[in-house]
Amino acid sequence: MGDKKKWFQLDLGLGQKQAVAGSCGCGKPSGGCGSHATEPPKNDLTISAEEFDAAVEQELMEDSMVAQTRKDGFQQVFDRKMDRRTAFRKLTASLLVGAGAVHTSCSVTSGEEAKEKAQIDWEEQFKGNYKLMTQEEKQATVDRLVRSYQLRKKENIKMSAADASKDVLFGYAFNISKCQGYMDCVSACVKENNQDRNSQMQYIRIHEMKDGEGFKFNEADDNYYHEVPAEGHFYMGTQCFHCDNPPCVNVCPVQATWREEDGLVVVDYDWCIGCRYCMAACPYDGRRFNWSKPEVPEDEINKNQHYLGNRLRKKGVMEKCTFCVQRSRAGKDPACVEACPTGARIFGNLLDPNSTIRWVLENKQVFRLKEDLGTEPKFWYFMD
Amino acid sequence: MKKLGIVFSIIMLCGLFSCKHKEGEYHSLKEKIEEEGKHYQDPGISSEAYIGDINTIEITEGGHTFLIPERKGQIKSFACTECHSKSLAQLQKGPKEPKAHWDIKLNHANANAMNCATCHNGTNMDNLHSLTGNTIDFNQSYQLCAQCHSAQFEDWKGGAHGKNIGGWAEPRAAMTCINCHNPHRPQIGSKWPVRFNTEKENERK
Ligand code: SF4
Ligand code: SF4
Repeated sequence: MGDKKKWFQLDLGLGQKQAVAGSCGCGKPSGGCGSHATEPPKNDLTISAEEFDAAVEQELMEDSMVAQTRKDGFQQVFDRKMDRRTAFRKLTASLLVGAGAVHTSCSVTSGEEAKEKAQIDWEEQFKGNYKLMTQEEKQATVDRLVRSYQLRKKENIKMSAADASKDVLFGYAFNISKCQGYMDCVSACVKENNQDRNSQMQYIRIHEMKDGEGFKFNEADDNYYHEVPAEGHFYMGTQCFHCDNPPCVNVCPVQATWREEDGLVVVDYDWCIGCRYCMAACPYDGRRFNWSKPEVPEDEINKNQHYLGNRLRKKGVMEKCTFCVQRSRAGKDPACVEACPTGARIFGNLLDPNSTIRWVLENKQVFRLKEDLGTEPKFWYFMD
Repeated sequence: MKKLGIVFSIIMLCGLFSCKHKEGEYHSLKEKIEEEGKHYQDPGISSEAYIGDINTIEITEGGHTFLIPERKGQIKSFACTECHSKSLAQLQKGPKEPKAHWDIKLNHANANAMNCATCHNGTNMDNLHSLTGNTIDFNQSYQLCAQCHSAQFEDWKGGAHGKNIGGWAEPRAAMTCINCHNPHRPQIGSKWPVRFNTEKENERK
């Protein structure tokens, strides 16, 4: 199956274990650990693992459309060699959704809407990693999410699955001499990206630093409240820098975060398992974690969304600045760029030789943070 | 030995080629931008819709062509000659209290370098004029500023100074000087930040 596999799977070595020794955790073929005596011999099972696999396979393949070439989320979970116990564990893990779906779809009393809701939940539960989806699959999941929101909240949202465009590589420049510390960008970002209001999550941090002492982040204040700009201080904004060689991506055990072709580093909130490895790997404090369910008042929700961007998140997943993918891929400036009253924020296409961002890189003294790490952030600082 | 040499040189050659030409295999981001930018083709994304209802005019300065907001339509009582029918000297002969512009106090450079007449022409109020007396249209007022603030002018043309309007793609639109700076009082004052994070404050206590 190896090379035909479309989805990333975490290899826990289940296959090997089966080949080497029965099903004992000690790894020895016989005796020694004490659990072999009570363990029934593998052959005693009424159906073998292979047979079980075959049975599941057959069930799934009835849907001839999917059976031909592509394997969607449902199969991705089941279509793999596993022993009976693992298979059942897998099944129970998804039982909550499944039971709901079966219950509602079999019941004569529940309405059409409830059945549709259950159907959507089922499909969403078993969908694959967004990164590996075809354009149709991406559109399908986005449509499901829009419909699901409509069914639940009786409100319409717009959600895009727009892919990266060719000949686009997004870059950002920040003028330290211009930033006055007003924090209009922070406010705009929170609103645009539906960030949790309870924990007051903010992707952007504005650091107030003392003049003439270099960039000392440990001594800087990123939560000041006094008239700005304060005498003898300058301001420096940080957020996710969309590294071209992002360390956060390499550490993700499930490939829930990756770098898109246009340079945006994104997260599939439905694939993220919340391990926070990426947060630890980011040298720039670019990532934020949802410790609780993000809450946004209904009338403040930005309904212009992107799957990889500002769509509503759930508890226990990672999120961060996406350079406002829902806006930038449509040709609009990110919310922070639009909100900044000083023009300190410059955004554009690094591949376009006539873009303003290119002019800044070529004509101003630019630098990046921790350049020696080789992360290649696409976020430059400069001064007048 | 000879065989080894050949194998070695083949490996070296492979190394040389694969190093440069494999997609996404550049030594640095800088190199990548330069290389991939060479065959840049307009991705066909437009930012036009995001300029909104701002009336713009197109200008070309130093090889940069972009849009800036039109000005004359925004001045409430343009043309100025509607009131300024006579020359300033004659108008000022009337009552002591000014009928208009009483709120304008010039706070820009010092009195030796600048007064009203540095930019305004007392005999032609519908236009501005340069230091040498050339007529400058109100829509092109940035030309006045550029006379002294040449460094800012360079940065503005390139896109490092001033504020972009709408989107990053074509057509480029940018605010002009007077959209942010009041020409009579160009300093931008201090104010309070728009938000304070109480949660962060609690966490750090
Ligand atoms: S700034 Fe941090 S989160 Fe953003 S791409 Fe770089 S390593 Fe990843
Ligand atoms: S928190 Fe989510 S995105 Fe980050 S490493 Fe873990 S699974 Fe990947």
